[in-house]
Amino acid sequence: MAVVEAHDLHRTYRTSTGTLRRKWKDVEAVRGVSFAIEQGELFGLLGPNGAGKTTTIKMLITLLIPTKGTARVLGYDVVKDAREVRKRIGYVFGGERGVYERLSGYDNLRYFAELYGVPPREIRPRIDALLELVGLKGREQERAEGYSRGMKQRLHIARGLLHDPPVVFLDEPTIGLDPVGARELRATIASLADAGKTILLTTHYMFEADALCDRIAVINRGQIVAQGTPADLKRDVAQGTVVEVEVFGIPEGTVERVRSLSGVQSVSVEEREQAQLLLVQTRADVELTQAILGQLDGANVGRISRREPSLEDAYVTLVAEE
Amino acid sequence: MRTLRLIWVGWKFHVKSLTLSGFFIVTSVIQPIIFASLAYLLFRIGAREGTLLYVALGAGMMGIWSSTLFGSGGAIQWQRWQGTLEYCIAVPPPLLLVIVPLTLATATIGLYSLTATLVWGRLFFDVPLDVAHPVAFVVALPVTVVGLGLLGLILASTFVLYRNANALSNLLEYPVWLVTGLLVSLSLLPGWVGPISWALAPTWGVNALREAAIAGNPWPEIGMCLALGAVYLVIGHFALQHFERLAREQATLSLT
Amino acid sequence: MTNARVFFVGGYLSYRALFNWMHWSYYIPTMLGAPVFQVLFFAYMGRFAEVENDEFFVVGNAVQLSAMAGIYGMAMTVGGERWTQTLSQLMATPANRLPLFLGRALPLIANGIITSAFAFTVGWLLLDVEIAASQIPALAVVVAASAFACTSLGLVVGAIGLRVRDVFFLANLVVYALVLFCGVNIPLESLPNWMETVSRGLPLTHGIEAARAIADGASLAEVDHLVWTELGIGACYAAAAFGLFKLFEFEGRRRASFESI
Repeated sequence: MAVVEAHDLHRTYRTSTGTLRRKWKDVEAVRGVSFAIEQGELFGLLGPNGAGKTTTIKMLITLLIPTKGTARVLGYDVVKDAREVRKRIGYVFGGERGVYERLSGYDNLRYFAELYGVPPREIRPRIDALLELVGLKGREQERAEGYSRGMKQRLHIARGLLHDPPVVFLDEPTIGLDPVGARELRATIASLADAGKTILLTTHYMFEADALCDRIAVINRGQIVAQGTPADLKRDVAQGTVVEVEVFGIPEGTVERVRSLSGVQSVSVEEREQAQLLLVQTRADVELTQAILGQLDGANVGRISRREPSLEDAYVTLVAEE
Repeated sequence: MRTLRLIWVGWKFHVKSLTLSGFFIVTSVIQPIIFASLAYLLFRIGAREGTLLYVALGAGMMGIWSSTLFGSGGAIQWQRWQGTLEYCIAVPPPLLLVIVPLTLATATIGLYSLTATLVWGRLFFDVPLDVAHPVAFVVALPVTVVGLGLLGLILASTFVLYRNANALSNLLEYPVWLVTGLLVSLSLLPGWVGPISWALAPTWGVNALREAAIAGNPWPEIGMCLALGAVYLVIGHFALQHFERLAREQATLSLT
Repeated sequence: MTNARVFFVGGYLSYRALFNWMHWSYYIPTMLGAPVFQVLFFAYMGRFAEVENDEFFVVGNAVQLSAMAGIYGMAMTVGGERWTQTLSQLMATPANRLPLFLGRALPLIANGIITSAFAFTVGWLLLDVEIAASQIPALAVVVAASAFACTSLGLVVGAIGLRVRDVFFLANLVVYALVLFCGVNIPLESLPNWMETVSRGLPLTHGIEAARAIADGASLAEVDHLVWTELGIGACYAAAAFGLFKLFEFEGRRRASFESI
């Protein structure tokens, strides 16, 4: 039995505009997400902003009721057995808010330790150990309102681990941390996984997912567009080539014309300072450079190169599609 | 046992948090002092016989109600703005055990008002502070705070369903002062106010304090306060459950 | 002509901008609901303490209520604008400051008159207050004068708000002080001497005195010295406020402190 199971999760939001004459609109944030996470796995949910990652995770941690579909954590249904789920999970959302500002970091942790049912005798040592782990030791008596964004992030992480939960949900945990802090956090997350915890991590940093996760699900516009180990995902795009063309002003219609060339798997455009970078993924067995350049007839062209595709290319392809 | 400890730790936590919140404290001391001064001046020149301690306790109770009302009415909304509401929900204990310590704390802050009112009265208006039944008084005080704190639970759990919780808080300050007979005898109000006043904890609380302080029997009032508290607890429990369900369905636990 | 436009249009728009967070679900309970009970509370307290009569408390509170919008509204105009960081832009406009700010005062005064009228009606319907219909116009004049005077005080509060962090708290304090000092609920003669002296320099005091006289049957002419005093007090506070604005504006430009919240 998988530790975390999501079956065809859907979540629709109802938003309204206007005050006097309200207009209601339904926004489907999650449209049929399914996956399963095994015991001890570090699972990544990768996708751009607005893809539905946070909504999905909120359904799993019992903060949102799915509009359709079911989910179970350690066998407990997230809607019907919410309380059982809550006892066994920890979650870290991060951000500037979410702490009691007037009180110290220590007081915050003490309070949540009580809420999470940490045995009284273990509260102090547990908090001390966690402060050490997240690097807040020595700052815990200061008021949380004085914490920097990174420090608050660390406090969130410490809070999520207070009751030593077997399942941990992390929503973009390295956001707001400086590069050194982020690297330390990734090491911590990896060690948590090594210790046997089951972890779901959401991120829009592809390299992070690649480095940490045992398996990744790529989510875009509320749906999972690819699932597998990092190696699997790379393999899917490994056959093929990427042609990069630097263009100073891509003419209208070029992207569509290039896309329609046979052998082309995907086309995307990256904005650089003075120019754009036309990225064309093609099948490995075709040589399309000339054809592509032909479509750019008249445009000012700079560097041209061919290279192996990376996981980043795979990701960009997956999430760029309509 | 764990429940009691949870309430205790939560209550301490929130009392500390509210106390350190400058704005809240200042309004819970300054407004009561001003209203108390008004009351003392008025009753001193008035024709009614009676001790100013009666007035002092009424004025003090006004402060406890204001603290509870403004602290609890907006409590859940405030958690939402602070970003902590989701954390309050996603913990193992039921939401009730998270919110009750908070509303109890808001009522507790009202004790600052009561103290300020009594001390101010003693210093500047010769209000006699001799309490006839000290033991009963010392019991009546926490019971009153608990009664009001549990009434605060109902405020917290129902106001949050209304678009503008602050407006309701503004609206209910004077009416409750009025119908619970804090600075006016209920006998002067229309008869139909009676039953409304009996359903409100401050009525019994202030009477308990007055009976204990000015010679009388406060125990029936203390009992009523506790009984009402139990009723509030039940109502609040269902209101909170309803709120949580609604919020999880409509995704209103956070601002985003 | 430009001044008149700045006065009316500018005032209306700024009123809407600042209060467009004020949904009717907030306005009705706060501006109409709470005043009803305030009047009832003090009238009954007066009955219990056996002091004066219902009319005393109704008139006092009705006039005081007209002032609340003025003080909060004006203080928030400046404090709020600082909050939304438009103040420095405002200070940079060439429009004449006087009609600009008076334009903001007008809707607040109108608001105050409505609340006041509501309070009088409550007194008439639910308590023993009888005011002859012929006295109403005179009352309206007095209420408007007091509202103006309080709005000016609100301007001073707002001006101080340019320096102080928490203008809302200060506005609260001022409103409470007015309730205590100005004879709203206590006859002036019963106040300690020093309090009565202070009250003579505050808005509301003379307005309430005039209103009570009118409610008892006096004509506007008989109380016109009180009305003029009230207006005069308002003018003094307004002048003081502009003095402060000039001072802070100058200093603000020197120290770039308008944006610091």
